[in-house]
Amino acid sequence: MKQHTLWSVALIAGLTLAGCGSAAPTGTAPSSGGSKTKLVVWDWKSGDKKAASYIEKAKADFAKKHPDVTVEFVAQPFDQYYTLLGGAIQSGKGPDVMMFNGGGQIRDRVDALLPLDQYVAEDRQRLAGWEAFTKDGKTYAAPVTLQGHPIYYNKTLYTKAGLDPEKPPATWDELMADCAAIKKAGAKCFALGNKEGIGPQFWLSGLGSGILTPKEYDDWIAGERDWTSPDVKQVFKLWKEVNDKGYNNDGANSTAMFNDAFSVFDAGKAAHIIGLMSDVGHWKDFGEFLGDKVGVMQAPLVTAGAQPSLPYDGGIGYAVAKWAKDPKSAADLVRSLTSTEALNAFYSNAGAIASDTTIDVSQAPPAVGTIVSKLKSGKPALHVALSSKTLDLMGRLSQKILSGSASVDEAVKQLAASDRAG
Amino acid sequence: MPVGRSSPSVRPADTGRAEGAGFEQRARHGGTGTHSRRASRAGTAAERLAPLVLLAPAVLIIVFLRLWPLLLGVNFSFTGDGARNGTAVGFDNYLELLDDPLFRTALGNVGLLVVLLPVAVAIPGLLATFIYLRVPGHRFYRSVYFFPAVLSPVIVGAIFNLILAFDGPFNAVLGTIGLGPVDWLGDPGVAIFTVVGVQIWATFGMALVVFLAGFSTLDPALLDAARVDGASLPQTVWHVIIPGLSRTIQFVFVTTMIGMLTSMFGLLYVMTAGGPEGSTYLPEFYIWTQQGQMNRPALASAASTVLFLIMLVVGLAQISVLRRSGGED
Repeated sequence: MKQHTLWSVALIAGLTLAGCGSAAPTGTAPSSGGSKTKLVVWDWKSGDKKAASYIEKAKADFAKKHPDVTVEFVAQPFDQYYTLLGGAIQSGKGPDVMMFNGGGQIRDRVDALLPLDQYVAEDRQRLAGWEAFTKDGKTYAAPVTLQGHPIYYNKTLYTKAGLDPEKPPATWDELMADCAAIKKAGAKCFALGNKEGIGPQFWLSGLGSGILTPKEYDDWIAGERDWTSPDVKQVFKLWKEVNDKGYNNDGANSTAMFNDAFSVFDAGKAAHIIGLMSDVGHWKDFGEFLGDKVGVMQAPLVTAGAQPSLPYDGGIGYAVAKWAKDPKSAADLVRSLTSTEALNAFYSNAGAIASDTTIDVSQAPPAVGTIVSKLKSGKPALHVALSSKTLDLMGRLSQKILSGSASVDEAVKQLAASDRAG
Repeated sequence: MPVGRSSPSVRPADTGRAEGAGFEQRARHGGTGTHSRRASRAGTAAERLAPLVLLAPAVLIIVFLRLWPLLLGVNFSFTGDGARNGTAVGFDNYLELLDDPLFRTALGNVGLLVVLLPVAVAIPGLLATFIYLRVPGHRFYRSVYFFPAVLSPVIVGAIFNLILAFDGPFNAVLGTIGLGPVDWLGDPGVAIFTVVGVQIWATFGMALVVFLAGFSTLDPALLDAARVDGASLPQTVWHVIIPGLSRTIQFVFVTTMIGMLTSMFGLLYVMTAGGPEGSTYLPEFYIWTQQGQMNRPALASAASTVLFLIMLVVGLAQISVLRRSGGED
């Protein structure tokens, strides 16, 4: 009997140990993996075919500098990315190098990141878009692409409506007159997808430089946002006006920006879209459908004294985690990922407007030339300065404005309160 | 793994215990010698220990993998986010939740789901009745009705996104019969009903099968008797079928409720993403947004705790319903 009890104890103990034993090595292997050190990179780009040559070039560049360090890229699905990253940050363990969107997404998480200023000093001049990865004077990531909101237009529809495709409207009144002509010709003036509530972010940034005065614009970026200004209210008034006049595609609140609204523009059903510069919804995507009939215009002038400019920031960039065991080589990997050669590959294969200002774009379609020529005078996009909470609220309020269940005044009041609290 | 493997070892211990009891009795009856008494005392200690040792793996797994994380999560909900990360903030997160119109909408939608529950149960119930009463083509309908249950919510959502788009085929059909287009997924007053409708469409097959199983236990003699007495179809349904199936109906109520509260995330994510105007938020979706998009894990923990309490209340109510229906037997 005693024998039996002991037996079962021994059996269970044995099994438990065996259970632990089999689990333990796999758990510890990556950290102790041989004599070579290993860097783990998380992003959502490396799995993309269009980015393959970019990653390859960056890897090769890094291997030249650090032959003893292996690099593993882990491509995460973008819609889960920040959820997964949040888990890694909470546990204080995870990738050494990780990709971030500029603006709120990285600024909310700088506690987990290593300031890179001492490592990237040499790249300062060559790359553009650092501000989006900077908080309190410290830089936390190096920009890979630039992201911004040019206004694209369909030259074929302009011709069809009897307008000059080489002379896009320069003022709001001209734009409204053109929209009326385009509507008469049987197309919509704007392709808008606001299912996710992203529409007003594009709207605010795409048109903001023509609505806010230069001082208001700079103050907004600097954090001194005056929500009581009539110009700020004007942004949302025009959002409503365009919809009320029937210039947007139908059912904007149930059309996804990614990628149904882009498809509306691709299909030639709408004449304008406030698009992107990199990733998707950019000149190269549209060009596949519309050929060289894709034009880029600058924000129409709404307020006298405003100076329309191209709104853009660092789009995506690579950062180094605070817990990285070898921060020096991790930072070097970030530098390889932003080397001219690698970024050139990214630009030519994926159509991204890369952060490297030395890349030659003279062979590219005219739309690229227009965008790149405006980079110098460009300013940070307005919506990037807002917290993710305020942007989320803005999404819902913009849907309410479109459906008529909230007034512009009310929306601006709520946004002001959210912005002050955040 | 230790749990699975430990089950064979339970048996020898069991027999050991039976033998031990016999031994003890013999020892007590015989009352001979100190040697056997000492042996039996040692045996008793081992016997006392044995069940604890045998239960330990299961208990430890439950405690460390279930209860401990639960407590950590609850504890985490009393800490702050961002700059206040890690510091105790008392009930701040819960107050913020109560103050957030979005979370209130999410809770309101849970209430709406409970209200719509009878519809979600009545539809498979009625269709199962028709199949049971052998309407023409009942074999065909039986397999067709079950078909959506094998589709993943993401696929169902994508299909209905296309069908219900503003310029999609459903509105086109409505247009031909002279009804104006409805923005099924873009109108805040309509969207939640659209999503619940699709959820019911996608999941009623399972409930239908349960109903059909219930029908197979129904005494056909009762139906024949009703027919002989000249009962109409509604009378048959009301006085014979529903009372005869009361336990099945209760079971379907419980499982449908659980399904609606726990498995609508995929559909919401694909079809509306909580919109328009935040009108289709459910607590699960809110938790996901706060954790993943807003970087507010502690607030998400608080919302999870609230959802857990709601599920606890609903679960307990359901257990009492099930127990009551079991008692009728």
